Amino acid sequence: MRIFLFVVFLTPFFIALYSLFITQNVIDPIKYIYTFSGVVATVILFFTIIISLMKRFINLMKYRRMIGLFGFFYACLHIINFVVLDAQFDVDFIINNLIKKPFIYLGAMAFFILVFLALTSTKRLFRKYNKYHKTLYLSLVLITIHFILAQKSLDIYQIFYIFIIGVISIFKLIQIKNLFNRN
Amino acid sequence: MKYIKTKQWQIKESEVTSKTLFNKRRDFIKLGAASLVSSGAIFELLAKDKIPLANLQYKKDKNENNLTLNSYEQITSHNNFYEFTTNQSKVKDMAHTLDISNWKIKVDGLVEKPMVIDFETIMKKFPLEERIYRFRCVEGWAMVVPWIGFELSKLIKYLKPLSSAKYIKFETLYDEKMFPDQARGILSTISYPYVEALRMDEAMNELTILAVGLYGSSMPKQNGAPIRLIVPWKYGFKSIKSISKISFVDKQPLNSWQKENKNEYGFYANVNPYVDHPRWSQSKERVLGKFFKQRTLMFNGYEKQVASLYKGMDLTKDF
Repeated sequence: MRIFLFVVFLTPFFIALYSLFITQNVIDPIKYIYTFSGVVATVILFFTIIISLMKRFINLMKYRRMIGLFGFFYACLHIINFVVLDAQFDVDFIINNLIKKPFIYLGAMAFFILVFLALTSTKRLFRKYNKYHKTLYLSLVLITIHFILAQKSLDIYQIFYIFIIGVISIFKLIQIKNLFNRN
Repeated sequence: MKYIKTKQWQIKESEVTSKTLFNKRRDFIKLGAASLVSSGAIFELLAKDKIPLANLQYKKDKNENNLTLNSYEQITSHNNFYEFTTNQSKVKDMAHTLDISNWKIKVDGLVEKPMVIDFETIMKKFPLEERIYRFRCVEGWAMVVPWIGFELSKLIKYLKPLSSAKYIKFETLYDEKMFPDQARGILSTISYPYVEALRMDEAMNELTILAVGLYGSSMPKQNGAPIRLIVPWKYGFKSIKSISKISFVDKQPLNSWQKENKNEYGFYANVNPYVDHPRWSQSKERVLGKFFKQRTLMFNGYEKQVASLYKGMDLTKDF
């Protein structure tokens, strides 16, 4: 199972490498890397929160940490693209963007939450910090806003993604409410 | 004595290939193609770049700025044409639904005689020339394109607008059968028909052209066939595609993107590295096909020719 998940979650990465370096059919590489890494990271991170919702059908609870770290890996590619290819290590450019553009600082905040989650995901630290791992929800809210702001205008497919995010949120809220009721 | 000053992109009449020679060359290519394929580097190049054989006759641009052209493949595989899709690489495969046969342009508003002109009439009336221009999108990508077309000012002079006309307004065709996104109604990405406009002096500037082709052949559908506007010192969205209506008006029209979000898109849309878009920094650009970015030039590098149009204006407000 572990190997299967590894293959599944690394496939997008290899597909991207293949089209970037082997077929070289990507016309705007910077935008391609942004879109690909952003989409994959978002999908994986949302997947980590529905694992508990679907555990009755397929139980992936013990792989949740690994799946989350894969999400973090793609988020890192997203940031590396920003710093290396887009900004070309131009500190002025990075700072200006971080201060002035809500679209970018919201994304950055979401990423810093992910960094914290990744660092505290080891067994020992997780025991101490697990209650803070609820901040993933805040991160996902920020990611969704970042995703909407990144579009020049929303097309029908993107409205569909946002609809799915809405559905997940409703299920999640019901789940949280049930937990409270039990207590 | 009156003499005509040659513009920097113009070439001498003597350098223009005559029509007979041009046609002969085409015959020669057709006849000789088979024997040339193995040795002719040009054919290899054509095949590599998938440039269709030239079908337009035009004055060549001498490319005095030594711009490096983007390939035909790049120019025709990365397009913003929201009537089809927002996915830039898919426009190419979807654009076949656009039917450009019997294309007409309706002309109305403050003009001596409102009329409808056929695209064919336009092609007969205005001699074509090549213009190698930088093309800069507001999203941050850029390319260099060898457009083929004619100066918009020539068409305007032919249409004879009234002196009360202050702006020229363009519209893309509205046809839900040809453009899938138009058929989505309230779910469509932006509102249609797509509208763009220029101030009269911008329209009369010698850099402003109506393009009917690129790389020597007719305009590909994904690039806005059969005829589109090119205003090289403005962001790409000003260069409206597939024009089907031209109106002369006295009040500043509301452009499509301005209507969509007036805090982010102004009427002028001049390329300006010092005025940032709220989301995309405009100081640098990524030329398609290159991994690294380059600095963006004021007015996209056409400052000398157009800066005077905006004298005394605050470009941070009139962006």
